[in-house]
Amino acid sequence: MPGNVTNPAARQGDNLIQDLHRNRHFYLFISPFFILFAVFGLYPLLFSFYLSFTRWDGLTPRAWVGMDNFALMLDDEVLAASLWNTLIIGLLYIPVMLFLAFVFANILHLRWLRLRALFRTAVFIPCVTPMVVIALVFGLIFSSEKGVLNFLLAQLGKYVPALDFGPVQWLTSEQWSKVSVALLVLWRWTGYNMVLMLAGLQGIPDEYFEAATTEGASALQRIRHITIPLMRPTFLFCAILSLLGTIYMFDEVFVMTRGGPGLSSTNFGLYLFNKSFVDFRFGYASCMAYSVAAGVFLITLMAQRFNRTDTE
Amino acid sequence: MPASLNKTALRGDLQVWSWNIAAKALMGLIPEFNRRYPNVHVKVDMNGTNMQSRLLLSLSAGVGAPDVSQLQLTDAQRYIATGRLADLTLVAAEYERMFPASRWKNCARNGRVYAIPWDIGPCAVYYKRAIFRKYGIDPERIETWDDFIAAGKTIVERSHGQTKMFAMGAGTTASQPLTSMLEILLQQAGGQIFDDQGRVAIDSPASYQALGVIKRMLDAGICRNVPWWSQEWMAGLKDDSIATYPLAVWFGATIKDTVKDFAGEKPEWGVFRLPALEKGGLRNSNLGGSVLVIPAQCRQKEAAWAFIEYALCTRESQVAQFRHMDLFPAFLPALNDPYFDEPVPFFEGQKTNRLFATDVARVPALNRTEDWSETQRYLDQSLSSWSAGDRRSDGFFSALARKLQRKLGRPIVSTRNVTGQHGNYGRIGP
Amino acid sequence: MIARQASYASNIKRNASRAALYVALAVAAVLFLFPFYWLAVSAFKSQGEIFSVPPRWTPWPLRTENVVMAFRETNIARAFFNSTVIAVSHVAVTLFLCSLAGYAFAKFPRAPGSRQLFAFVLGTMMIPSAVTLIPNFVVFANLRLIDTYWAMIIPGAASAFGIFWMRQYLGSNLPNDLIHAARIDGCSEFGIYWRIALPVARPALAALGIMTSIGAWNNLMWAFVALRTKEMQTLPVVIYLLQGETRTPYGMLMACGLIATLPLVIAFLLFQKHFVQGITSGAIKA
Repeated sequence: MPGNVTNPAARQGDNLIQDLHRNRHFYLFISPFFILFAVFGLYPLLFSFYLSFTRWDGLTPRAWVGMDNFALMLDDEVLAASLWNTLIIGLLYIPVMLFLAFVFANILHLRWLRLRALFRTAVFIPCVTPMVVIALVFGLIFSSEKGVLNFLLAQLGKYVPALDFGPVQWLTSEQWSKVSVALLVLWRWTGYNMVLMLAGLQGIPDEYFEAATTEGASALQRIRHITIPLMRPTFLFCAILSLLGTIYMFDEVFVMTRGGPGLSSTNFGLYLFNKSFVDFRFGYASCMAYSVAAGVFLITLMAQRFNRTDTE
Repeated sequence: MPASLNKTALRGDLQVWSWNIAAKALMGLIPEFNRRYPNVHVKVDMNGTNMQSRLLLSLSAGVGAPDVSQLQLTDAQRYIATGRLADLTLVAAEYERMFPASRWKNCARNGRVYAIPWDIGPCAVYYKRAIFRKYGIDPERIETWDDFIAAGKTIVERSHGQTKMFAMGAGTTASQPLTSMLEILLQQAGGQIFDDQGRVAIDSPASYQALGVIKRMLDAGICRNVPWWSQEWMAGLKDDSIATYPLAVWFGATIKDTVKDFAGEKPEWGVFRLPALEKGGLRNSNLGGSVLVIPAQCRQKEAAWAFIEYALCTRESQVAQFRHMDLFPAFLPALNDPYFDEPVPFFEGQKTNRLFATDVARVPALNRTEDWSETQRYLDQSLSSWSAGDRRSDGFFSALARKLQRKLGRPIVSTRNVTGQHGNYGRIGP
Repeated sequence: MIARQASYASNIKRNASRAALYVALAVAAVLFLFPFYWLAVSAFKSQGEIFSVPPRWTPWPLRTENVVMAFRETNIARAFFNSTVIAVSHVAVTLFLCSLAGYAFAKFPRAPGSRQLFAFVLGTMMIPSAVTLIPNFVVFANLRLIDTYWAMIIPGAASAFGIFWMRQYLGSNLPNDLIHAARIDGCSEFGIYWRIALPVARPALAALGIMTSIGAWNNLMWAFVALRTKEMQTLPVVIYLLQGETRTPYGMLMACGLIATLPLVIAFLLFQKHFVQGITSGAIKA
């Protein structure tokens, strides 16, 4: 019998008080988490729930407004636009990013590949850089008149006239600003997802592949029939993380596009911040944060459910 | 705050938040200020990035606000409402009569004063003399907005659409010109967005009068559909695509700035007075302007006040700021300065300063509420979809009023009420 | 003979496809590294050179005035100090709290409520920080901790993920016999954690420490909200505020950006193995 490490006497089945006393160090050791959580997690959670029913700017007295904030959300065009933008930006980059991450993971998983560490580093290193700096660098690259990207496109256009459609207004037009944000996010997070997928790949037993190889399966067949089915949980995890990331994304849009031009690149995270700390509508912002968090929670739950019934 | 402080005894290290041209204007005052107060050191932090957010966060947390801060006049109430600005009522009392009453009202709440008006934005029309000559338009004969529209039609016609009368972006999200134009016209019509008590008062005949002018402008096809401050708009200062810029006095600095980019001859700019709604009506209005405030958390309020007093409540510094940076003084005694009657070389010797100053005191100010910036966004949205759609005006302001009521939690006042109580409408005009 | 020819042909085919793969990888690596290169190059160019068309691909002649200006005209040095203090303290506090709780959850499985409490800890990971942002500002303002290092060190220090991560590691790498022996020798419970569990957990601590420091070093939103004065600002905030409304000094901005980017990139290159390991094991929880 694997005895309790804490105290062998526990076997004798004393009463609860003694049990608690015997394990007092356990409670002592985990107490910092619970104290900090109570002050900076639980209390804020409840407080913000309460705020959802009030009108408050953090400075003047609070007013109870009941369900008004929820009603306001229903005809908030900016909220609708920010959710729409979130969706579009997400659709622009998430499929591409997951595909690229999967491809990179599979390639960089190959044993015979030389310079593996170097390539992995190159793909991953964007994740460790301060977003504010990178957003500014991308701002330079995307500059419509003086940016490197448009310069290169123009050079390309000289040889392939079909591609010559003049300087792209990456950051200054409503059509392109979302694409620019998507490209920035793609650059930043592909490596992170690649590492998650590498972890998933490492979880697949080598015997599966060996067995398939002896049966004459090609590399692509192995990926299609072994890797992809077994990696489904990882794909789902990456997709959910990216979805959350797009909804709450902040630094990227706050620095590079400031949500513009117009509202074209304002996602939910930026709108929430603006409502919170530019307009100081604490009540309404709390209400939005809660509602969207609940929505996201439901979507996540459904996605997991869907995934489970699908594989069964 | 004792007013009779020994000037050399006053010590301090002031941090001032300001932006852009205004910040430069303040920096220019420091040497002269230090001759009077040698031991008060002023550092102007010129950074407008997200200032509203940063200042409100600091006021809210009680730490990190500057000693003196610039605010947009339109936003002053927003900050005053927080209760975290120093009460200037006592020290400012002696200056009350030296500022336009309408501006002073924007700086006060419940009878207490929390801000001092800095500059104001009287309006006129900047025009390109060459274009007017070419198409035979006499700016002196443009007295009403209808004259303006007629002249615009002539220019568009004779230039075969190459030159538009002015720019007013419409039907895009960049619709702030529509809101600004509505503001300009609404003041001429004596209308209000909010009444004295902060109730929504926009559903009034004056508002419809203003919107009617905008509708006629758009329908006449005299506007270039680009947002203000966009590249195309700025380019219009150099080429022939835009004939006029009906705007506030501070825009002069921008025009002068772009002239530097010209390779060839300096283009001839002129100014004519803002058209009125009707013949004989008010030919001025206001757009923009700012104030200075002292956050309550400031630990050196005497020194901070000394700086504000010198910068805003003396004739010499107000005139200097106008001369160098086109910041039009809110301080009325400054308007008597001979500088206002000097011809301005840039405008071909025209006495534009006096032109802008004429009737300044007659412009009724719009009441500003603490949620002005939000209100402005709703105006932008509504006007934008109105201009992109069929531009049917009936019911526009009652719908807008209901929207403001819902979003801002403010009651709507019936227009009869406003007119009855304050008699605002029709006070200006024939 | 034929067989050898066939294998020779397939060898050529294989080598060709491998070469293509290497080329593709090299192109990808260049694309991923280009923004870093552009950051570094721009930091040593003048404003005019940054916006020149065609672009100047190399920084020669090297201009160091941006770096000099960054130190003279901004509070970047102070911000570097602040960022360092905050990142180091935040990591230290996080590692201590998470390893302590993780150790307790791993080695006191019989304590009443242990399993439920652990499930609760995991459950807290579901709370998006967006929901608690405003109340946290209010809490810190009421505690008079806005504009102090504490405002940056405390939030997130009791990390549910960190506890989970330490518990997993200690659960499978710290033998119970070791704890038994120590207890018999009269070692205190805290002593066991400090002298036996911590040394064993070193690789896990390294990984967690690096992951935590990325977040602490790069944080912009909360730092923008919680740090109010110039004396307290961290690197991301200083860099964000350097952008002007009308004219941004891009050369200086890039110099500051380089200063803010290098420490983590260097740390990453040094601790690469732990890094990837850390994130990999983070994935297992899914």
